Amino acid sequence: MASSPLSDFLRSYLTAAIFGSLGFILVGLLLFLSYLVRPNRHQAQKYLSYESGVDPVGSLWSQSQIRYYIFALLFVMFDVEAVFIFPWATRVEAYGVFGLVEMFVFIGVLLLGLVYAWRKGVLKWA
Amino acid sequence: MLATLTQAAADSFQSPSIDWHAFAPELVLIATIVILVLVDAVKLERARPLMPAIAGIGLLVAIIPLATLAAEGGTRSLFEGSYVVDSMSLVLKALFIVSAYIVVLLSTNYVAEGDYWESEYYTLLIASVLGMTVMASSRDLVGIFVALELLSIPAYMLAAWRKGDPRSNEAGMKYYLMGVFASAILLYGFSLTYGVGGSTRLTEIGRSIQEWGTDGVPVVTLALLFTIIGFAFKVSAVPFHMWAPDTYEGAPTPVTAFLAVASKAAGFVALIQVVYYCFIVRPDIIEPVFWVLSVASMTVGNLIALRQTNVVRMLAYSGIAQAGFMLAPFAVVASDPSASLTALVTYLVIYAAMNLGAFACVIAISRKTRSAEMDSFGGLFTYMPGLTAALTLFLASLMGIPPLGGWFAKFGVFAVLVNADTGLGWSLAIIMAVNTVIAAYYYLRVARSMWFDDVPEGVDAVPVRTPAGITISIAVTMGLTVLFGVLPAAVTNLTDFSSVAFGG
Repeated sequence: MASSPLSDFLRSYLTAAIFGSLGFILVGLLLFLSYLVRPNRHQAQKYLSYESGVDPVGSLWSQSQIRYYIFALLFVMFDVEAVFIFPWATRVEAYGVFGLVEMFVFIGVLLLGLVYAWRKGVLKWA
Repeated sequence: MLATLTQAAADSFQSPSIDWHAFAPELVLIATIVILVLVDAVKLERARPLMPAIAGIGLLVAIIPLATLAAEGGTRSLFEGSYVVDSMSLVLKALFIVSAYIVVLLSTNYVAEGDYWESEYYTLLIASVLGMTVMASSRDLVGIFVALELLSIPAYMLAAWRKGDPRSNEAGMKYYLMGVFASAILLYGFSLTYGVGGSTRLTEIGRSIQEWGTDGVPVVTLALLFTIIGFAFKVSAVPFHMWAPDTYEGAPTPVTAFLAVASKAAGFVALIQVVYYCFIVRPDIIEPVFWVLSVASMTVGNLIALRQTNVVRMLAYSGIAQAGFMLAPFAVVASDPSASLTALVTYLVIYAAMNLGAFACVIAISRKTRSAEMDSFGGLFTYMPGLTAALTLFLASLMGIPPLGGWFAKFGVFAVLVNADTGLGWSLAIIMAVNTVIAAYYYLRVARSMWFDDVPEGVDAVPVRTPAGITISIAVTMGLTVLFGVLPAAVTNLTDFSSVAFGG
C-alpha cells in the first residue's frame, strides 16, 4: 500500500502506543517482582493517611476558605497578562503605535477587573 | 528559542488594517460590558436601578451598526477570511441582539423583585450575547470555539442565579457539567477536523475534505460526528437533551427564555458554519446523521411533552421537538443548500419571536400564580383574559396554525423536504406531519386549562398588574408572530441566502 500522509500520521501513534505499553509492562513487572520478594505484615497504622509522621486528626472532608480561590483567580488574571506582555516588551518598537495602544487597552480592561474586585471588597482579608 | 520566535514575529509584523465598521456591533457590546462593570464598581448598590437601562441602551445602540452594514450590503472578510460579515451573519446578529433586548425587558422586574445580583446579571447576559454575535461571523475553528465558550460560560452562571433555591443550583450544575462534556467532545472533533484539513479556516478544511474523496477515510466521518454531537448538546437535540428540562425549570424564567431562544439559535449558527463551509462536500454522512437526530428529537420531545404538568417543562420539551424540526433541513442539505439554509434561518427567526412571547406570558402569569404548574393556570381567562389570549396565540403559533408565524416556519421546512424529492426527505416530511399533530395535544391542553377549567381552590381571582417591560415584549413578539404569518415576505426577504457562497 502506498504510504499516505494519514497512515504516516497513524504510524506515529503506533510508536507512541508501543512505548506506552512498554512503560506499563516495565512498571508492572517491577511491582510484581517486589511483591514476590518483600515481607507481608499487616498493621493498622499502615492504613492511615500519611501526614508527615503525625496522626491524622478530624474528618477527611474539610471546608476551605473561598477567599483563597478568589485571590488565586486574581493572580491568574495578571499571570496570563504577563505571558502577553513579556514577548511584546522585548520588541515593542517593532509594533509601533498600534502595539502600544493595543497593549494599553488590554491592560486597561484587566485593570477594570481589579478595580471591580477592589470595590466589591474582595481584596479585604476579613 | 523564545527570543528568536518573538524576533521573527516582530520583524514580519505589520499593523493589521481592521475594518472597524464590520466590527462595530461587537465593539458596542464590549463597550457596554465595560460601562456596566465601571458603573457597578463606582456606584455599588446605588447603581442597581441603572443596570437594566444601560444594558438595554447598549443592545439598542448595537443594532445601529447592524443596520448601516445591512444598508451597505456586500460581504466583508476580516483576518484573511476567519471573520466574515455577510447578509446571513447580520440577520443572525440582529436576531441575537433583539432577543437579548427582550430578555432584558423580561428580566428587569424579575431580577429587581427577587433581590438577585443585578449588575453582574446584565454584564453576563451581554457577554453571552457578544459570544453569539462573534459566533455568527466566525469562519474558523478557533473562533467558533472561543465564541462558544464566551456564550456558554456566562449562561452557566445565569442558570444558577437564584442562589437560594436548590433547583436553580441543580440547573446551573447540570448545564455546566453537560456543557463542559459537550465542549470536550467538540474539541476532540475539532482536533480531528484540523488533522484532516490541515488548517483552522473552514473553507480550507472544506477544500481538503473534498480532495480526500469519499472512500477509505473514516477519520473524516469521526471528525464530522464528534463536531455535530458537540453542537447537538447546545441545541438540545435527542439523545443529547438530558440537561434541558431540568435546567429550564430551575433557572430563572427570563434566563430560560434566553437559553431556549438565543443560546439554541447560537448552536444552530455553529452547525450552519461547520456544515455549510466545511462538511458540505460529504452529504453522504451529513444527511443520515441529521435525519436520525431530527427524527429522534421531534418524536422523543413531543412524546415526553405529552406527560408534563409544568408549563415551563412542557415548553422545554416542546423546544426539543422544535429543534428536531429545525434540524430537518440539514437532512436534505445536498439537494438545494441555500433553500435549506433559508428554511432553517426563517424558522430560527420565527421561533425566537413566538417562543420569547410564550415565555413572556408565562413570566407575567407566574407573577400571579407563583408557579408554572398547569393546574394553577386553571380559569385564568376569568380574571386575566388579555394574557390568556396572548399565551393562546403563541401556543397556536408553536403548534403551526395558520395564519401565524409558526405555520410559515413549518411550511418552509416541509417545502424544502418535499422539494428535495429524496427518500430521506419524504420520510422525514411524513414523520414531521405526524409529530405536528401530536404536538397540538399538549399545547391545546394548556389552552383548555386556561379557558375552560375552574379557578383552583384558594386562589382569589384578582388580576395582578403586568409591568410595562413585559407588556411591551409581549406586544412586540405578538406583532412579529402575526406579521411573519400574514406577510412571510417580511422575514424571507431577510433570509434569502441564494447569493451566499458555500463550501470549499
